[in-house]
Amino acid sequence: MKTYIIRRLLLMIPTLIGITIVVYFIVRLAPGDPIEAMIRNQSGNIDPKAMKESAQKIRERLGLIEYHYLRDRLFAPEKTWKEKPTGAVFWVTDAADKVASAAVGYVQWFGRLCVGNFGESIKYRTSGGSRNPLLLMAERIPVTATLNVIAETLIFVIAIPLGFAAARYQGKWFDRASSFVLLALWSIPAILAATLLIGYLGLGGRGLEWFPIGNLHSFGYEKLPLGAYLKDLLWHAALPVVCLVYGGLAYLAKMGRASLLENLRADYVRTARAKGLPEERVVYHHALRNSLLPMITALVLSIPGLIGGSVIVEYIFSIQGTGLLLVDAAKAYDLALIMAETLLYGVLTLVFLLIGDVLYAWADPRVRYE
Amino acid sequence: MSSLLPTTEAAPLARSRSYGAIVWRQLRKRPTAMVSLGVIVLLAFLAVIAPFLAGEVPIRWVENGEVSWPIFRYLDNAEYAGMLAFLLAVLLPVTVRLVRARAERAAVSPLVRAAFIHGAVWLAATVALFAARTPERHYGFFLERAPQAESAWFPLIATPRHPGYESLAHRDEAPSWRHPLGTDRLGQDIVLRILYGARTAMTIGFVAVGIGASIGIALGSVSGYFGRWVDLVLMRVAEVFMFIPQIVLIIIILAVTPSEVPPLWAVVFVIGVTGWTGYYRYMRAELLRIRSEDYITAARALGIPTWRLLLRHAVPNGMAPILVGATFGIAGAVFLEASLAFLNLVQTPSWGELLNDGRQHLEYWWGWGSAGAIIFITVLVYNLLGEAIRDAIDPRLKL
Repeated sequence: MKTYIIRRLLLMIPTLIGITIVVYFIVRLAPGDPIEAMIRNQSGNIDPKAMKESAQKIRERLGLIEYHYLRDRLFAPEKTWKEKPTGAVFWVTDAADKVASAAVGYVQWFGRLCVGNFGESIKYRTSGGSRNPLLLMAERIPVTATLNVIAETLIFVIAIPLGFAAARYQGKWFDRASSFVLLALWSIPAILAATLLIGYLGLGGRGLEWFPIGNLHSFGYEKLPLGAYLKDLLWHAALPVVCLVYGGLAYLAKMGRASLLENLRADYVRTARAKGLPEERVVYHHALRNSLLPMITALVLSIPGLIGGSVIVEYIFSIQGTGLLLVDAAKAYDLALIMAETLLYGVLTLVFLLIGDVLYAWADPRVRYE
Repeated sequence: MSSLLPTTEAAPLARSRSYGAIVWRQLRKRPTAMVSLGVIVLLAFLAVIAPFLAGEVPIRWVENGEVSWPIFRYLDNAEYAGMLAFLLAVLLPVTVRLVRARAERAAVSPLVRAAFIHGAVWLAATVALFAARTPERHYGFFLERAPQAESAWFPLIATPRHPGYESLAHRDEAPSWRHPLGTDRLGQDIVLRILYGARTAMTIGFVAVGIGASIGIALGSVSGYFGRWVDLVLMRVAEVFMFIPQIVLIIIILAVTPSEVPPLWAVVFVIGVTGWTGYYRYMRAELLRIRSEDYITAARALGIPTWRLLLRHAVPNGMAPILVGATFGIAGAVFLEASLAFLNLVQTPSWGELLNDGRQHLEYWWGWGSAGAIIFITVLVYNLLGEAIRDAIDPRLKL
């Protein structure tokens, strides 16, 4: 088992490198000219000729120097960083140059990463000095984790009994009703649910002003005693958690139903019944326990998806979690922060996959990984 | 010797049914599946003929005794292409029948052949259309000039629609006969916005999932059939894309996409290119199973070329999970598109955008209510259809 885990951990490395390569190159090689994008943002679409001219003017004013990465490295070695006046920034235009400079940039980024340097976040550099992406994420991870732990627990606690009950009353009205309701819940877009919850239950909304919106804590929460702190947290987390939970129920409940049905048809259940065991004992003691096994794996494996889904919920409720940080980073072309976030999500997904597999082997002695 | 054997005449072989035909027969028995399919076709139809239902360009216009049909001049090339695509999709069963009647033993299944023919027809027509035709873009002021005309047939809901349209006199109107679902903050008709949002949702649903499924089928079948290093390499590539959460990749790509790329196509591209891993896994698993089946061995022994073996025998038999996955995939893509528009990450006419507009002004419920309801209905019918197909394919597999 130990060798298996070690091997899996080692196999993660090439996958993680692949993930970072894909994301890095997407960000670096995106078509379009940032200066022209800037002009378009300010003055809308203007005709291409005027666009080229004003872009050139801005470049000259900013002291941007056209630099052909491949050509100039070989044929114009005098054009280097050191010899240019301070403040001059090179301007890379050719497609081949873009690929080459991105490749060099990736190697440099990777080299720095190997010594634990994640680079600097350009978005947060202005607010109080340069910021380490790692520190920025460390601030946000507890928020996202809290939200997802509460949501996962609720999903598990609600979905599993629902699924099992549906399996027990297979084909009866409860089964049909629950499956339809769950499918309908699954089909309600989180954005609609969030809009309604904020509008009609949120403070400052139009209906019952029961729950606060935005953030996970009240002002000055650090000074609260533990009980009040938890109450405050749950009060704040209520609406976002509802948005995360209702859609996730359907999948797990359906899986629970299928799992119990399969076990109820198994030979050992027939044997137990033939022995004359009471039905309650057959179901709750024998079948149910075995049906829980695949549920554990399913739950663990659903965590990465839920964390991905919480990006939207964090955005709507403006909760300062890792998802919102990623959206902000992507919008600001903040490469260092984007890469750090990508690594975080990649590692999380891979680790939870591994945990799922290990838990499965631990719970079911028949499963052996060599 | 032969007299010892029973001499009953061989019963005429029942006409063999293809796998697709069996699934279709199962599906026909399920009312929810048929209703869902009907709703989907209806939605696609409404999306395709949107300019005839709501808008400002008249269908027929008579002025000074001169009869003209302005809408056909004003329709975009892409709109014609969309209409043709819908027509060809609806007529696909007819072509399948024709193809089947002509050649029982073609290299690929009749469905694939028919789809290929229709695809070629569509592509040729679209290319010709874009090459030869320039649509009228001049704003004709038809609504304002309507009193001058002797006769004017406007779309069912005659309402202005052009970029930057704003009519403060008609904003936030409650549903009425003139505006069945009311108007929004800028005085635009909600029906109009729902119809044009349906176009975005349908395009993204079909095209994005089509791209994803095609990549997945192609790579998955190659990976599963050939195995060895091909499988090893492709599986690693798929893993990379599998483990970047789709929403993360989409947000990054959309943020760095320049604004000269039409946002609709950026979203289609992104959802298509990031969403293929699921189909890849299904197809690979199916082919791993299929390649050791007897009929594949028999086909290989007969010396059938590999490409034909894959296209005619292996891939069609592995399509079932893809079909289920694609149906749920379309529901997911509609969700995702609405969310991205809601979060202001893309600027396309979208249901998500409409929902976002209504967020600050819940009292004007007709806007966000219509948007929420239409997203819910669309996603629900796709989910119901997906479940029905899954049950039809394998009644035991009731996941």
